[in-house]
Amino acid sequence: MANPSKELKVRYQQDLMIWRTPLLRAGLLTLLFLYILSPVIWESFVVTKFLDDIGLTMTTLNYAGVFAVGAIGLNLLTGYTGQVSLGHSVFVGAGAYFAAYAGSTWDLPFIVWLPGSLLVGFLIGFIVGPLALRLRGNYLVVVTLGLVFLGDHIFRNWKSVTGGSTGVSVTGASLKIGPIDFRNFEVFGHEFEKSQSFFWLIWGFVALVALLVKNIVRTRPGRALQAVRDRDIAAEIIGVDLLHYKTMAFAISSSIAALAGALFGVLQSFISPIDFGLLVAIQYIAIIILGGMGTIHGSIIGALVLGSLPRLVENISRDYDLPGVSGDQGGIGGILSISSLNHIIYGILIAAFLLLEPRGIAGIWMRIKTYFKTWPFSY
Amino acid sequence: MDQLLQGIFDGIALGARYSLIVLGFVVIYRATGIINFAQGGFLLIGAFLTYNFSQTWGWNFYLSLLLSMIVTAMIAVLIQLLLLHRSLKEISAGVFCLIFWSIFFYNGNSHLPSLIVGIFVGVCIYFLVKKFEIRFGASQSNELPIFGSIIVTIGILFVIKQVVPSIWGFAEKNMGDPWGFKIVKVGDLVFTHAKLWTIALTAIALLGFFLVNRYTKIGIAMRAAHFDHEAAFAQGISLKVVFATAFGIAGAVAALAGTATGVGIAQLTPNMDLIVFLAFPAMILGGFDSPGGAVVGGIIVGIIQNLTKVYQPEWDLDWLGVGFDRVMVFIVMLIILMIRPYGLFGTKEVHRV
Repeated sequence: MANPSKELKVRYQQDLMIWRTPLLRAGLLTLLFLYILSPVIWESFVVTKFLDDIGLTMTTLNYAGVFAVGAIGLNLLTGYTGQVSLGHSVFVGAGAYFAAYAGSTWDLPFIVWLPGSLLVGFLIGFIVGPLALRLRGNYLVVVTLGLVFLGDHIFRNWKSVTGGSTGVSVTGASLKIGPIDFRNFEVFGHEFEKSQSFFWLIWGFVALVALLVKNIVRTRPGRALQAVRDRDIAAEIIGVDLLHYKTMAFAISSSIAALAGALFGVLQSFISPIDFGLLVAIQYIAIIILGGMGTIHGSIIGALVLGSLPRLVENISRDYDLPGVSGDQGGIGGILSISSLNHIIYGILIAAFLLLEPRGIAGIWMRIKTYFKTWPFSY
Repeated sequence: MDQLLQGIFDGIALGARYSLIVLGFVVIYRATGIINFAQGGFLLIGAFLTYNFSQTWGWNFYLSLLLSMIVTAMIAVLIQLLLLHRSLKEISAGVFCLIFWSIFFYNGNSHLPSLIVGIFVGVCIYFLVKKFEIRFGASQSNELPIFGSIIVTIGILFVIKQVVPSIWGFAEKNMGDPWGFKIVKVGDLVFTHAKLWTIALTAIALLGFFLVNRYTKIGIAMRAAHFDHEAAFAQGISLKVVFATAFGIAGAVAALAGTATGVGIAQLTPNMDLIVFLAFPAMILGGFDSPGGAVVGGIIVGIIQNLTKVYQPEWDLDWLGVGFDRVMVFIVMLIILMIRPYGLFGTKEVHRV
């Protein structure tokens, strides 16, 4: 019998599909095109040229991509499993420092040190995870906050590996996969810039991680994780092994964070403990709140917004003389420096989104979608 | 032996500050159920207000301290009313008030007229939004989750941390305390006046709080609200007043703690609020909702931190790095939490399925 409506699902597999409708499949194709073409056309096409001018350069997009990877990982832990982690920057830092050490000092190839830093993140998450069994709610928030200080102390004092407070260079880490080298990427004799080739590398990983997490959350483990989030005792009673799932959520989330850290390291090519402080941990939380908890596309959108916001603010306040904001960092000539303005906008954004739209940008999108779907009956 | 006693005394002085900070956390947590990260911001505001009154305006130090406690309490109450109440009209009124205040200020007016314009606009917006509130209210019905409120307080902390140095500058300052380097010597032990006063002021503040909490009407209301918001509300207790009072008390003790942290030569910096994060282990140790635990936890943490600092070089533990004393308290916190997940004096939560 023919399916009378496209909305009606007759098989379970249909319900699980990620790209359900023709519109979504067209969206996938568009994204694919954008992924391949963006670095090539970014500085020559009218719209993208404008974006580039206001500060949304390739490099900014790359940083946003790194944030997206980490945020997807955090969303698996916080959005889907309900375990708040204010210590995510430690996992990120562990991955970055391992990349620096294994890539530069041991001189390992890309395909070895990258899984290596994933493994380091996994192990740290595996150790931290069981804490979440004993503690919940506010106590867990504070304990993970304590991790930030512990991590910061280790990063500053294990000088042989981390270079202490000054930091360590990651330029030695190789980025070769077979014949392709992402440091000087070549296709048919045409050599691309670093920012262009990194775009392909980083956003490729964003797609991979997004697919991985999406696959986790739409299958059995994902349903178990969401049951743990909604009510962990009830989940345990219906047969979800809390120790297993909480630990695994921490371990996978932190290994994804370590991947983000490794990418961050090679992108910034120099890392120091400041890059993995409390501010970064809060940044990650802010991204998933702004984007929408428990959604994967939300984390990517949130990372794009919050990852590029500092650059936009910097450019705009340089070009247009904002009242009370000084052009340079010192705060001379105006009452606020640009970085202070950034922090303030950050703070206001977090507060505003939580107060007015707790489900984030994804929630706004959802509302728009429902409005058109049910039009003209709004309820 | 003297070294140990000296270490313990200095630890108690440090712990007294922690106790004050934690008391602020505990009071707010008991009343509203959130951890108020903006406590660090209140601490900064309080310390810099004391500095402003006593140094810039040249008033008596104790009078400045008292005034700064009152003003910080008022600011804390305002923040609670405007930002943590989660009602659109109050938030938009507050935000527009701030925006217009700053716009008028930067167009060359002085603070007072700009503030009046800001408040006027804020009040107008309040009634405007009140009229149309139902229309905006897409997400009005569902409560802001606890975690959400916590993140909002982090946002507030960010803002305060940037605003304070923009008013008073980044340089280190002298608080202008009357104690200076005066010391009392007992045998080989050295008690500085500043530390003795810190302990004394803390004791007075804590005593005051416990008396209020035990015997006054508002104290009883706060305890009732701690047990059950809805039941307390049904008995005619105004939760609004309870929440505001909790923030007021927290602001006042934060101002005291900030002043106690900032005394001495060039101790007052905009980064001082980091001490709040070091106070977290104290809060955990005592349990989130126990004011008595705040005092005990604060003093234990202060002593542990200070003894670690004293004995680390002596026991050849220098390889653990500079500033290990600050990490040590987190390690102790972790160990204690593994044994007692609700701290030493915290109430065990009962989880129903």
